[in-house]
Amino acid sequence: MTTIVRVQGLSRIYGEGDTAVTALDRVNLEVGGGEFLAVMGPSGCGKSTLLHLIGGLDHPSAGEIEIEGKKLSQLDDAHLTELRRRRMGFVFQFFNLLPVLTAVENAALPLLLDGVKPRQANEKAAQWLEQLGLIERSGHYPHQLSGGQQQRVAIARAMVTEPALLLADEPTGNLDSRASDEIAGLLRKAASDWGRTVIMVTHDPRIAAFADRIVFLKDGRVVDEARLSANGHEEAQMVKDRMEAL
Amino acid sequence: MSIAWRLAWRYLQGRKLRSFLTTLAVALGVMLIFGLNGLLPGMLQALRMTTMAAAGQVDLTITNQAKGPFEIAAVDVVRDVPGVAAASGVLQQNVVLPAGLNPGFPTDPLKTVSSVLLVGIMPDEARTVHIYPLVEGNFLQPGRSGEVLISSRMAEKTGLRLGDTLYLPSTQGKAGFVVVGILSLPPSAGAEEVFVLLEDAQQVLNQAGQINLIEVIFDAAAKPEAVQADILARLGEERFRSGGLELGSELLAALDMGKVAFSLFGLMALAMGGFIIFNTFRTLVAERRRDLGMLRAVGATRQTVVGTIVLESLLQGGVGTLTGLLLGFLLANVMMAMVRPVAQMYLHLDIGWPIFTLSNWLSAILAGMGVTLLAGLVPALSTARLLPLEAIRPVLPAVETMRSARRSVVGAVLIVLAALGLVSGQMQLASVGVLFFLVGLILVAPVLVQPLGRTLGRALSLFFAQEGRLAEGNLARQPGRATVTASALMIAMAIVVALAGVVASVTIGFRNYIERSLSADYLIMPSSLLLSGGNLGAGPELAQELRTLPGIEMVSTLRLASGRVNNADVQVVGIDPMTYGQVSGLEFSKGSSAEAFGALAEGRTAILNGIYAAQSGARVGDDLHILTAEGEQTYRVVGIGSDYLNAKLATIYISQQNLASDFHQTSDVLLMANRRADADAARLQGEVAVLVENYPAFTLIDADSFLENQMMAMNAAMSMMYVLMAALALPGLIAMMNTLAINVIERTRELGMLRAVGSTRRQVRRMILAESLLLALFGTLFGISAGIWLGYVMVGAMNSGGFSMPYVFPLGGVVAAALIGVVFGVLAAGEPARQAANLDVIAALQYD
Repeated sequence: MTTIVRVQGLSRIYGEGDTAVTALDRVNLEVGGGEFLAVMGPSGCGKSTLLHLIGGLDHPSAGEIEIEGKKLSQLDDAHLTELRRRRMGFVFQFFNLLPVLTAVENAALPLLLDGVKPRQANEKAAQWLEQLGLIERSGHYPHQLSGGQQQRVAIARAMVTEPALLLADEPTGNLDSRASDEIAGLLRKAASDWGRTVIMVTHDPRIAAFADRIVFLKDGRVVDEARLSANGHEEAQMVKDRMEAL
Repeated sequence: MSIAWRLAWRYLQGRKLRSFLTTLAVALGVMLIFGLNGLLPGMLQALRMTTMAAAGQVDLTITNQAKGPFEIAAVDVVRDVPGVAAASGVLQQNVVLPAGLNPGFPTDPLKTVSSVLLVGIMPDEARTVHIYPLVEGNFLQPGRSGEVLISSRMAEKTGLRLGDTLYLPSTQGKAGFVVVGILSLPPSAGAEEVFVLLEDAQQVLNQAGQINLIEVIFDAAAKPEAVQADILARLGEERFRSGGLELGSELLAALDMGKVAFSLFGLMALAMGGFIIFNTFRTLVAERRRDLGMLRAVGATRQTVVGTIVLESLLQGGVGTLTGLLLGFLLANVMMAMVRPVAQMYLHLDIGWPIFTLSNWLSAILAGMGVTLLAGLVPALSTARLLPLEAIRPVLPAVETMRSARRSVVGAVLIVLAALGLVSGQMQLASVGVLFFLVGLILVAPVLVQPLGRTLGRALSLFFAQEGRLAEGNLARQPGRATVTASALMIAMAIVVALAGVVASVTIGFRNYIERSLSADYLIMPSSLLLSGGNLGAGPELAQELRTLPGIEMVSTLRLASGRVNNADVQVVGIDPMTYGQVSGLEFSKGSSAEAFGALAEGRTAILNGIYAAQSGARVGDDLHILTAEGEQTYRVVGIGSDYLNAKLATIYISQQNLASDFHQTSDVLLMANRRADADAARLQGEVAVLVENYPAFTLIDADSFLENQMMAMNAAMSMMYVLMAALALPGLIAMMNTLAINVIERTRELGMLRAVGSTRRQVRRMILAESLLLALFGTLFGISAGIWLGYVMVGAMNSGGFSMPYVFPLGGVVAAALIGVVFGVLAAGEPARQAANLDVIAALQYD
């Protein structure tokens, strides 16, 4: 399995002097192609910080991140932006769809930003919406969609550029259990059927159990790790126990 | 459509009310710049339309440098010049036709012919230089006095036919001319032409043996420039020039001042529009932090994100500018229509319609788009500095930290400099000081928000006990936004207060002028107040007859001519220094009436009026080289003073003796007389009226009713100021509505919480209202201070410009501004308060 993400000695410190807070403390991590990794931990453990750093949304205080062999520290803002646009997809807790664009336009957004002609971009986005069972809603605006539907549009947006890496930050945090299972299932599919590397941050053991591997963080450090079986979603209790043990 | 354009357009559509208000602010600014600057070219064009040069048919026209009459013998000199095929002498002048002089004419002052261009020609010579296409009747014949040719257009307008009599006012009273021919003339840019024999015109105008124009046709083979130079050399270049006769160039100084004032108003309105847009976009960027961060997260470049915001502001700027151009067009036409009857009735000037020059279009468009671009660019650039992650994290609306001390210090320094400029007594420094004061206030304002908010809040708490405290806190946590809003309102209120002060000063100032200069018991006045506007004078006989009436103590008259000083036209008024000061007077700013009038009786001396003194920079004791009908003459300045009728024109007063010798003018254009104390007023009035009846160009006017009439006309003209005030105050209201709407949206969750914990809808409404009133009080307080300052400087500037008038403290304006501020505070809160009170509590609590 090729390594898509490599993290070495990653640290992130906020503030200075007495008020400095260490969100991440010398984290090392590797994620292979097609792997579904969940990152778990108590509130404030640094899991979202780790995800944001991997996605190039923030800059580390120390350490290195490589995505498909490219060191993020050597990329300027323009190249980093291009990497996010073409090789990564993001799914956020609060969906973060643009309220003024329709579902298909939101899904097509990364392609439009890349200069692809709107017609072509919309066609590609429509294909993904169809895959995700939302084609009848493609002309609807976000406020006309349920939470689960909005998150599926967000996944379509994340997938439309055929990225190598999908980053999901509490993707089910705002959804009911049924919708949460659907979204988690889609992320599972993205890894196993569509071959994407997925890194998901969650606090929900039930959702984490959909992953291939779980990394546990505490106080900014990796403190535990667990591999899950193919039916990992049935191991939610095990995950919960490991969480409580932290 | 690129994604940036698509997003800009969609976001605009998504907030229709705010987009409308912001666009309206731009539209108002552009409306004023475009509309007001269309007024003046129209008026200037109308003045230039009185150009009396016979354009198009002749090769050259020759006039006197002083635009006055000269001997007919000059035509013979021109005829003898090699290369001249034909030359003809003409005496022509605009002549006002008083209402009722020709009973058959239409009575509607806007449809009738109220003035004509009287052209006196020698028929045989005139036809060597001109074609006169006759459609009916016969041409003029030498020796057949009392006949006239009119145009077919005039015949149509007036109903005159061959054989009818056209009456014209004359220096001997009135003269009748029989219509013997009707001409088909090309469309006239000025008054309708009527042609009489030269000697008839000379009699009407009391200019025996004189002409004022020579028309020349060259030989086919002649070199025009050489012939022209030869002609002028032989006539004397110091006395003669090529070109036509124009009226009204003395008004240019006053119109130029108007142009500056109008541009200033327009720019101020646009500045307010800029504040509003800046506020809107700054908040919009804050509201859309998450959207913008997400865009960066999924791969939008900084340029795309900045571009989206800038495009949005440009779209609004474009729509606002187009709307402003349309509104400006309407405004100019409405204002012109308001002033037209006044100009027609009192000045016999058809002021035409607004003219929108290319530079007017371009400057309005550039100003509208430029201000919008700048106002949107600054907040847009701030988004480029956002890290994607900063924008994605949910944040509460920021509580602004105190502005840097440096900005406040700069503001304080500017205010001190402004104060120094004011006390320096130098108007230029004081004028710059106004700008410093305004900018200084804006810089210092954020620091003042909290303490002022507390003070004003205490006053407000009398009416809004609990809500006032919340409102005060809301204001204090966004001092920057409060400042920008208050700044827009401040400018609006400052203009209201300043204009109110100026209107009061101008009204009182002109009243003083009228009372000083037109207070004689009997005023025998022409029908147009513009003395040079085609009014025919009366020969000296009228004044003489007046003097002989028993009961008349003293008679004095004004006479008129045109001169040129340093290539600028100037009106020359002849007064009798022995009698003028006893029945009338000038408002002196330099020198005294006794000294100045005494000096006027000796040698070539002159009194300058205020506007001319300011324009030329001449002072008492200076020598003035005036181009007269007799060539250049040197006059010594002995005083600076103005009278009402000529206050707006560049004017020089000299003795009537000098006017006759240097300018060949002996007709009286205004007569003033005082009666003896023991005279029978009623009987004398009747006798004077009988005398005046023989001179239809004149009207006998009672001083009190004249004053009343003039004040009514002034109020009508000042009504334009009130339209202006309203247009300039409106952006202040828009700024407040915008800010309050933004505040409500930003605090949706907080408002939901207030309702959830038990606040009633009424209390929420009152909180928004209290906030609005606080903002209004803040802006109004600053605005009144700035307005008093601005008004003082404007009156001072008018005094420096030659319009002497007292400074009147604008108490009315201050009260009006305070009331408007309160009204705006209430109006602006209306819709935002309603929305806040009717929020769905659950949705509000979940709002992000």
